[in-house]
Amino acid sequence: MRVTKLVTMTALAALAGTAGLNAQEPGAGPTSAQLVEGFTDSSRWPTFSGDYSGRRHSPLTQITPENVGSLTPQWTFQSGTMARGRGFETTPLVWDGVLYVTGPNNYAWALDARTGRKFWEYRRELPDDLTYGRSAPVNRGFGMLENQLFMVTLDAHLLALDRTNGNVLWDIELADYRIGYAATMAPLVVNGKVIAGISGGEYPTKGFIDAYDPETGERDWRFYTIPSPDEPGGDTWPFTGVRERGGGGTWMTGSFDPELNLIYWGTGNPNPDYYGDDRLGDNLYTASIVALNADTGIIEWHYQFTPHDVNDWDSNHVPVQADIMWEGSPRKVVMVANRNGFFYVLDRVTGELLLGKPFTDTTWARELDDDGRPIVLNDGSQGCLPDYWGGTNFMPPSFDPVRGLFFVSARETCATFIPQKPEIEPGRNSSGGTVWVDRDQAYGALRAIDVRTGERRWQFRYPTPTMAGVMSTASGLVFAGDNEGNFMAFDAESGDNLWHYPTGWSIWGTAAITHMLDGKQHVLIPSGTNLTSFALPD
Amino acid sequence: MAHCWGKRGETLLAALALLLSTSVASAQDSLANPHEGNPGAARAGRALFETRCAECHGADAKGISGPDLTDLWAAGRSDGGVFQTIQRGVPGSIMPSSSAPDDELWAIVSYLKGISTVSPVEFATGNADEGRQMFGANCAGCHRAGGSGGRLGPDLSRITLSRSRAGLMSSIRDPSAAMRVGYRTVTVVTAEGQRIRGLKKAEDAFSIQIVDTAERLQGYLKTDLREVQNEAQSLMPPFGPDRLTDGDLDNLLRFLASLREGGDAL
Repeated sequence: MRVTKLVTMTALAALAGTAGLNAQEPGAGPTSAQLVEGFTDSSRWPTFSGDYSGRRHSPLTQITPENVGSLTPQWTFQSGTMARGRGFETTPLVWDGVLYVTGPNNYAWALDARTGRKFWEYRRELPDDLTYGRSAPVNRGFGMLENQLFMVTLDAHLLALDRTNGNVLWDIELADYRIGYAATMAPLVVNGKVIAGISGGEYPTKGFIDAYDPETGERDWRFYTIPSPDEPGGDTWPFTGVRERGGGGTWMTGSFDPELNLIYWGTGNPNPDYYGDDRLGDNLYTASIVALNADTGIIEWHYQFTPHDVNDWDSNHVPVQADIMWEGSPRKVVMVANRNGFFYVLDRVTGELLLGKPFTDTTWARELDDDGRPIVLNDGSQGCLPDYWGGTNFMPPSFDPVRGLFFVSARETCATFIPQKPEIEPGRNSSGGTVWVDRDQAYGALRAIDVRTGERRWQFRYPTPTMAGVMSTASGLVFAGDNEGNFMAFDAESGDNLWHYPTGWSIWGTAAITHMLDGKQHVLIPSGTNLTSFALPD
Repeated sequence: MAHCWGKRGETLLAALALLLSTSVASAQDSLANPHEGNPGAARAGRALFETRCAECHGADAKGISGPDLTDLWAAGRSDGGVFQTIQRGVPGSIMPSSSAPDDELWAIVSYLKGISTVSPVEFATGNADEGRQMFGANCAGCHRAGGSGGRLGPDLSRITLSRSRAGLMSSIRDPSAAMRVGYRTVTVVTAEGQRIRGLKKAEDAFSIQIVDTAERLQGYLKTDLREVQNEAQSLMPPFGPDRLTDGDLDNLLRFLASLREGGDAL
């Protein structure tokens, strides 16, 4: 690991003293305890999903089903930078009237939440021989602790920025981008550690989840998503070198249960994506969810959604936690609507599968066997399968604990996969095939799933599949986006559309956030090069 | 997460290496493709296209978030123009510039041209003058050719550059079999019961944009409509052998092909 300390430890200590690591001082950033509190202060959105649960469900109630029709833009920030073929995928963090926003091509900003005006801008000089980072030059947001912001980069580094001025405090390499690694996710700060994941599953890479010291950038632990031959799960790979380049990226932010001290994290596709003949076996822990001890990175349990995936159905989803009554008993669960088209409920203490049911019309499988494995009906030989973007994707879902409804953007698609043995070479894409997508048959939908049954409560259909995420609020609203660029509000009970605003570009790979400011509830959505804030009129 | 398309193996890379070794330094200046007609260039270009371009333009180059590239030559673009666009990018859009070697860019141009153009030999039979009359009588109400005609359907002035003879014959004989996006028939029914028929240009959950049969661009909010009827039949009527004999079709296609060679329009 290469560590570039741009300030000395002495300077860091001085910074800590002057910039207010003490949360009582004006201008201080969030402490670890405040991150655990999550939504307690309604003016804040301090971590990727708003709180550690991954629910993206705000307690705010000023904007309601009755008045949301009056929602109007307050300001728009223009980033001036765009990711080709992708979206403005960030989730802004909000702290004391300031927005901390990352953008495509490793730009970042601190913005005035009242006006969208810039306090500072950061831009990373990127090498011109990026690998995965060139094909998806996106970023999904900051992590934040005290006076520091944490951001990953397309050349697979992790940075700490000074929250006050955007200066780089330290810069460490996660992995060698020239092999195919990149980083796009929003770091998750838990227990005084910065948790970061890695992208690059289309290249001969090996996924991992890392924990770093926020003060120094020193690595505390690393969990590889592909076990060694002598570790549990190691026998799900051939005893060849393939496991050293077997994929399993960790490119979407996880969730955290402070009480159990467990981090929940999704893992990506095995590599090659479509050609599986040289990696026979289940290929653990790819296309899975893993529960890791936050202090040690040691795995507590796992569940694999798609054994031996050959359709690029990464499981890089936000794991959504809930405490619910399950068959008459209280249960701590974690829920995932998966790219393979199934909705899952797992016991988050043990990993026991409680429910697995399709939330899409997928023909791949319609049920799971007693061991929780999919009973595959169509491996592609019986007609088309959901495409490589899956039945949903990494765009965040949300969960309303009062209504017991899980809101997810579903994609109904039809694709033909043509595997081909790829050449394996560092820095070279090794997806291993081609995919033909029948776009005429595709559509999208916002769906509400009853988490106790897996049944669909309602849906709102879009003309084309969407890659926009979802946020809900305690007032009974669901905010979502579509591929046509509409930012929309729905009645959480009925699914009725109550409001929409055409943003002008697909809402892609992100979801709304909301916070209070000067007594008004604001709702923010990134789209294209714009970040727009909405509120009710005076 | 994958959205890239697989490469084609070392054979193509070897072909590309060969291309690079035969670089023509002045290619960009002359804006003529130094690898014109070289099948190896097109193969190498395909591999490059799949890794660098397909994400936005689609594996079949028919466009995803980026535009359809299979009708560039039909739209009048030249080899050199396409080369320059790839090299310089499109300012103000998400299409980036490229610092790749000229030979790689020309290889991509070769590939795109190969999938975008059709040999004139396919349209060598028939009588262009008779075809012109046929076009004026049957097609010009909706289609333009050489600057004259209607605007509802696609401009056919360069259509024989991008569509094969078999494809065009199929579209004429049975136009409903495959309707392109942007040319699909729709009827909107207003709250007052008025029915407006046209071609759907865009649609989202809340609105629809059409060009009606009077060639007017019309946008509607769905809340103002009673119904949106997507129709399976093309606005273009089928021209079976009873309406156009095979000989008539030869003449018609010969006329259209003559336009790409600078022949007389309507």
